[in-house]
Amino acid sequence: MGDNAAVESDDEILEIVDQSPEALYELFEQRGWGDGLPMVPPTSQRVEEALGNVDGDPEEPVAVLSPRGGVATRRAVAVNAVLAGCRPEYLPVVLTTIRALGQQQVNLRGVNATTHPAAPLSIVHGEVVEQLGFNSGLGAFGPGNRANATVGRAIRLVLLHVGGARPGPGDASTQGQPSKYTYCVAENSEESPWEPYHRWAGVDSPSAVTVHCGENPHNFHDMESDGIERILDKAASTMATFGVNNACISGGEWFICLCPEHAAVADSAGWGREEVADYLFAHARRPASEFRSQFDRLAWADWMKDAEDEELLPMTQEVTNIKVFVTGGAGKHSCVIPSWGMTRSVTLPVES
Amino acid sequence: MVTLIHRPDGRLADGAVQLASTSPVLSGGRIGVLDNGKPNAGVLLSRVADGLAERIGGKVVTTTGKGARANAATACSPQVLETLSKEVELVLTGSAD
Repeated sequence: MGDNAAVESDDEILEIVDQSPEALYELFEQRGWGDGLPMVPPTSQRVEEALGNVDGDPEEPVAVLSPRGGVATRRAVAVNAVLAGCRPEYLPVVLTTIRALGQQQVNLRGVNATTHPAAPLSIVHGEVVEQLGFNSGLGAFGPGNRANATVGRAIRLVLLHVGGARPGPGDASTQGQPSKYTYCVAENSEESPWEPYHRWAGVDSPSAVTVHCGENPHNFHDMESDGIERILDKAASTMATFGVNNACISGGEWFICLCPEHAAVADSAGWGREEVADYLFAHARRPASEFRSQFDRLAWADWMKDAEDEELLPMTQEVTNIKVFVTGGAGKHSCVIPSWGMTRSVTLPVES
Repeated sequence: MVTLIHRPDGRLADGAVQLASTSPVLSGGRIGVLDNGKPNAGVLLSRVADGLAERIGGKVVTTTGKGARANAATACSPQVLETLSKEVELVLTGSAD
């Protein structure tokens, strides 16, 4: 490994001599950059190639990211996309996610400052899924696909570098979680019985991204049932746990990620997203007395505070906080993703 | 050989920052119909506008001609254009026959 003395040629550019992967890896580590894994050097050529996939001034910001207060310009996001190993054409999806993370309702400062392990999940919808080769089928949350892996990683690198969300000074998560490395999934519209999630959410565009700051996926399985109620009873039991923030913060959202086979059972019963959410709102419940015995402080909606002890209370205060989309391939495993609690999901059209 | 690479952290915000505008979407948008004065244009445009409004959850808020003295062969009056620009996000109109 060579001695890679880096020289700051200006505020944003470094001159490096030794371009070996080992030397660059060392350089990034010395400067406190990166997620601990090797990265692709963000040369001007690579960054410009990525920027060629979006319109607008590269120096124009799409977000200001807490806690550092870093300005996420198109160029800064492109640099991190290159570092993450993104193909140039992935940049619009990364930019859209970063723009969404800057929205006030996401409460990014809280997401990063909390001891909870919350990580932003980027859910990719629409035409861009196929165009860029995202995996929305078997192993949708897992490894092996460049688009899913590197887009999710790029988002984390932007948070680390621009947002300053380094464990300790910028990210107070007690244990962290694996999805803080990369957390990107694509909606399986081809095998979904319903309109694409983003259109249901009111974003009328060919492609979109939803950001939901939450926990890792909580699996539930049902291999046997041909009735949707019995399948969703498993989802409800997975949701109705006191270990999640949503148990004591009633304003939190839940994302219900149904596999195509579970979604098909819902559809065959004539159920849409709303019926699935209605059922979970009605059945993912625990007695008010149990909530009260488990928590000294409950950030509840007023109507829940007035409940009698024996009343069954839901895991979120409004049914509209339960969002449903389809992802994954063959098999009968689905999952639920509770949020951190004090954050709202955002859906935006993919940047052009 | 020396290679130049970009720092990944970028600059810090210094006061209020003007963000780049988002990609436009039509969801919930206000729609205007500008009848260009050709036979049946108003009927056709209104039907398209109604269909679009239904699809995007929007509303047709204005249906207008080009102005008092205008006809199919003349330009729309500046007053009509100004009104449309204030009242709607999207205008449906036609040109030629």
